[in-house]
Amino acid sequence: MEALSTFGQLLVAGLLTGLVFALVAVGLTLVYGVMDVVNFAHGEFVMLAMYAGFGLALLGIGPLVGLPLVSIALFLFGIVVYRLFVRRLLAGPPEASVFGTFGLLVLMQGLAQALFTSDYRSVPNPPFQGTVQLGVFALPQAALVEGLGAIVLTAALFAFIEYSPVGRAMRAVSEDRTAATLMGIDVQRINLLAFGLGAACAGAAGALLLLSNPAFPDVGASFALTAFVVVALGGFGSIAGALLGALIVGVMEVLGGYYLSPELKLVPVYLAYLIVVLARPQGLLGRR
Amino acid sequence: MNATRGHLTALAAIVAAGVAVAFGVRDQVTLELIFTFFLYAVLGQSWNWISGYAGNISFGHAIFFACGAYASGLLVTAGWSPWLAFVSGALAAIVLALLTGFPTLALRGHYFSIATIAVAALVEVTVRVAPGLNGANGFELPIRSGWSALEFADKTNYVLLALALFAAVQLATIGLERSRLGFYLRALRANYAAAESVGIDERRWKLLAFAASAVMASAAGVLYAQDTLFVDPPSVLGLSVSIDIALIGVVGGLGTLWGPAAGALVYVVLAKGVALHVGGSGKGYDLVLYGAIICVIAALRPDGIVGAIVGRQRRARGAAGPDALAAEPT
Repeated sequence: MEALSTFGQLLVAGLLTGLVFALVAVGLTLVYGVMDVVNFAHGEFVMLAMYAGFGLALLGIGPLVGLPLVSIALFLFGIVVYRLFVRRLLAGPPEASVFGTFGLLVLMQGLAQALFTSDYRSVPNPPFQGTVQLGVFALPQAALVEGLGAIVLTAALFAFIEYSPVGRAMRAVSEDRTAATLMGIDVQRINLLAFGLGAACAGAAGALLLLSNPAFPDVGASFALTAFVVVALGGFGSIAGALLGALIVGVMEVLGGYYLSPELKLVPVYLAYLIVVLARPQGLLGRR
Repeated sequence: MNATRGHLTALAAIVAAGVAVAFGVRDQVTLELIFTFFLYAVLGQSWNWISGYAGNISFGHAIFFACGAYASGLLVTAGWSPWLAFVSGALAAIVLALLTGFPTLALRGHYFSIATIAVAALVEVTVRVAPGLNGANGFELPIRSGWSALEFADKTNYVLLALALFAAVQLATIGLERSRLGFYLRALRANYAAAESVGIDERRWKLLAFAASAVMASAAGVLYAQDTLFVDPPSVLGLSVSIDIALIGVVGGLGTLWGPAAGALVYVVLAKGVALHVGGSGKGYDLVLYGAIICVIAALRPDGIVGAIVGRQRRARGAAGPDALAAEPT
């Protein structure tokens, strides 16, 4: 009975962890789906958002009020980065976008170190501390808010892609770029919007993650590495897949950390990536 | 033929200059930088075999570097000769390359790249928990001196060793460019479906290149361990080591003979130079500069420094060389 309730507690903790991963992964998978680019700097976008949220907190603006502001700021940042940089990468060979976005990762981490130093920055007196008792489960409030935010964000993005005219155009571009152009869709504009939207997702993720994590220059990398696995697991380009993949990875990581050892918590995650990518390269919910 | 003679002449000139510098320069810090340059040029070339010529971009190449470094640490602390580390490190690297390459080398684009990150992370965890590898503490090599111990108080001999390894790796790559393997790899990179349809077995040839690449990185690992006398997971297995190796290959030019050396030169001058003069790598200025250079190259000249020079020469001649099609990035 004891073991069962521990398992249940771990399962819930894992699902909440997974929702946080989903937060980071949806923006990544959106950009990939539309323009076939894995943005290796996506984690650094999250890091930038966390510093932005931290700055707002110092001005007395709380994380939830700050969230839309940070998202809009990151949307604009994404637009600028696309116009100046990503557009050129897309014109080059595929490896250009792999190492180009990797270069952006290095550049942004370096800038953060140079400007903000490597110190950990935590929001003073953050809201949503303490736990909520749900039946037998004690759940941290911050994780609940982050999880709720992830569900809302994923649902909103999903609805946008499925039902809005721009979302329909994005799906058309991701399915067949040439045909989409022939149907009168401005592919460059759709790419631009998708990249901005992906960055805005990173903005929302960063603002929420600040509830339970300090901001520091490498913070994005720790989330992004898992996010790549999540996105591959769910299927590159699939938003529902990203959510499913994130929940699976979250549960595996928490269970692995408890039953194996904290040092080994990522072993089942990486093994799962390798198995999925070898046996079913399109991921769980992706299409070929 | 002419091109090959030119490459051999250039290599001979570099070796002559390297020997002269090794004996002429007495400043130990400069010698250490030159050693680092040759070491990274070897690592970059090793990466270039699989990621440049064959087109499978790896972000986990440090695992092969670590094979050599750990072979050194294990053998020396157990009282064996470090020279054996070249052999045992190479064997371990080959096994690791075959084991990880067999399932993953057929993956394309970012699927392969992320798989290499996952594999490298798994290897790092394994090294941390495996019995006999000293976990997070790693190995500290005893301070000795002489050719049998492969340790020297003076950095001159380290430069000579790294130079010899560099020359061997460049000779092997000149051979690769003219060999059947080299043509097959470039064909697979340009269009794997077309290459396979004419009977080129992708897995077989890529595994061969991967194993060869792993052996080179392992040899570099032995020299690294014998120079720094310290081996632990972050210093030889960390993701940042793999990224440094990949960036050197990319900056110089993917799939070019001199690209890795050019990339290593940029890396040593910038990363080490900035760290020395602006103060510490912890401040991030080196990363800013290095990241900016990669961004500019990716956006403007994705074929890297050497690729840009070769492309200009080709256009000037007005005719494409025999391998222009295969070398063209796809």
